[in-house]
Amino acid sequence: MTTEMRNTGAADSVEGSGDLLRRIRGHAILVVIAVVCAFPIYWLFATSLRRPDDVGSLSPFPWPLSIENYTDAASKVDIVGLLLNTFGVAFVSAASQLLIALLASYAFAMYTFRFQKILYLAFIGTWLVPFQVTMLPNYVLLYQMGLINTLAGVVVPTLCSALGVLMLRQHMTSFPKELVAAARMDGRSSWSILWTVVVPNLRPALAALSILLFINSWNEYFWPAVVLQRSNSVLQLGLRSFMGTEGNDWGPMMAVAGMACLPVFLLYIVLQRHIVNAFVRSGLK
Amino acid sequence: MFVSVLDRPVPTKVTAPEPTRTIRDSSIARVLRVAQPYLYLTPAIALLVVWTYRPLVQAAQLSTYSWNLLPTTPMEAVGADNYRRLLELPAVGDSIWRTVVLILALLPFSIVLPVVISFATRGVHGRARVMYQSIIFAPFLIAPVAGAAVWQWLLDPSAGIVNRILGSDRNWIQDTATAQWVIIIITGWHFLGFAVLVVSAGMAGVNSDYSEAAQMDGASRWQIDRWITLPLLSPTLVFLTLMTVLLSAQWTFPLIDTLTQGGPSQSTTNIYYLLWDYGFHSFDAGLSAAAGIVLFVGFGAVAGVLVWLSERITFHDN
Repeated sequence: MTTEMRNTGAADSVEGSGDLLRRIRGHAILVVIAVVCAFPIYWLFATSLRRPDDVGSLSPFPWPLSIENYTDAASKVDIVGLLLNTFGVAFVSAASQLLIALLASYAFAMYTFRFQKILYLAFIGTWLVPFQVTMLPNYVLLYQMGLINTLAGVVVPTLCSALGVLMLRQHMTSFPKELVAAARMDGRSSWSILWTVVVPNLRPALAALSILLFINSWNEYFWPAVVLQRSNSVLQLGLRSFMGTEGNDWGPMMAVAGMACLPVFLLYIVLQRHIVNAFVRSGLK
Repeated sequence: MFVSVLDRPVPTKVTAPEPTRTIRDSSIARVLRVAQPYLYLTPAIALLVVWTYRPLVQAAQLSTYSWNLLPTTPMEAVGADNYRRLLELPAVGDSIWRTVVLILALLPFSIVLPVVISFATRGVHGRARVMYQSIIFAPFLIAPVAGAAVWQWLLDPSAGIVNRILGSDRNWIQDTATAQWVIIIITGWHFLGFAVLVVSAGMAGVNSDYSEAAQMDGASRWQIDRWITLPLLSPTLVFLTLMTVLLSAQWTFPLIDTLTQGGPSQSTTNIYYLLWDYGFHSFDAGLSAAAGIVLFVGFGAVAGVLVWLSERITFHDN
């Protein structure tokens, strides 16, 4: 590989033929990786759309198409109910995370105050606390609140997202201070500045973050698994109930798995670039 | 990397134009003004305390008790006994070792492959690149349980496509030799696209002046990559390493819980799953809490070392 690179580098300085070779090699690598990454997802949906008799078929295209796996799955679990529950949980959780992160990051970005650094560290510190450490005390607290086996019990521990606070603070510190100063001169309160100056201008960032938070809560597995021990009332757990070590019913299982991914994928297809940017930016703090 | 965020100067509050008003204000209004940032922070801090830091402290307390999680049975103080048991239990050492293997085996997916892919495909630009990247990124959005389900189907001993193509009937998930690798590969598949995007973004952020200057001096492409681009990329790579270490718990848990439940014969029981097992299967709350505290301290140490390393060895472009 090194010699090859050196060769193309040398060719490069003479003329563009090395460039073309490199581009072709780049395409070849990316095609292979993309196919490998996408294949399991394709196979998931392909299997779910086969006729029950064809589930084991290796033909690359599911033909004839059939939705029998989906109707079969719907007869075993309440797919619509699961979708609604999961959507509700993810929506409430993401909305609350967004609102709370908005307020907190506003404080961090627009003010200087005592203990600011320590309080900010408290948010970063959550990265160091794995959920397995806090799960028992939190389980006991949820039990005392009577929230075990309820959807509220799934939502409540996730109402604040440290990631959301850290990300929004980044956006707010780069927000033009002149706008805020001007609004202050007009005699507006900090509360009205937040909603009439900051929020409208941060709309793209807020939209990206809310999608990210929604996807994260949609895919959340741990709290539902802890809290909903007797009922499988969100999709991730409904899907788990299909998975045994033996005798799997692959068709309906892939149908439920497909339903568990579909809403997020539809979001992704529509808002592809925004979602990718939101996630990558969350990484590049 | 986290530290560099902290060190950024905090923007000064915009109070300059209004000294006269402050004098006119009543003391109540002044108190309110000082209290403002704290009021905005209250909901977030309150939730953080209730759901992260209170349980952390309670876990520390719980780790000195023996308790089976039942509200009716009393907790019994046992001092450092749980920690002693942790040291003596072979399962703990084994699971820590498996966790180390897991993290090391994930690094090729989160560091090596993304760097190789990003370097080797620099020639691809524009629409095509966006398209490839969005396909590679897609597994990152798949719910972990759905990922587990489809891989279980792909790897099914008799009907799965992998065995049908290989012509074998190996039960990859229930075989002690391969179970842990299955977990690693599924996690790597989930994360690869994200890491590729992060590395590509990092590379796009590297100032091209340096490589152009080096090229003028007659440096080869390989030399430029090795001595200029890669060092400038090191903050990104340290960040990805930190993420791999810290988040391997979150990623693997749903897979292990749905596919193997830690088996076969403990071969996929890493330390995170062992904690869950002690807490919710053996109902040994004290032991689970003790292991959790040890894990937390370990995480803190690893993160501290990585942040320190990133300050020492990474090259900042400024």
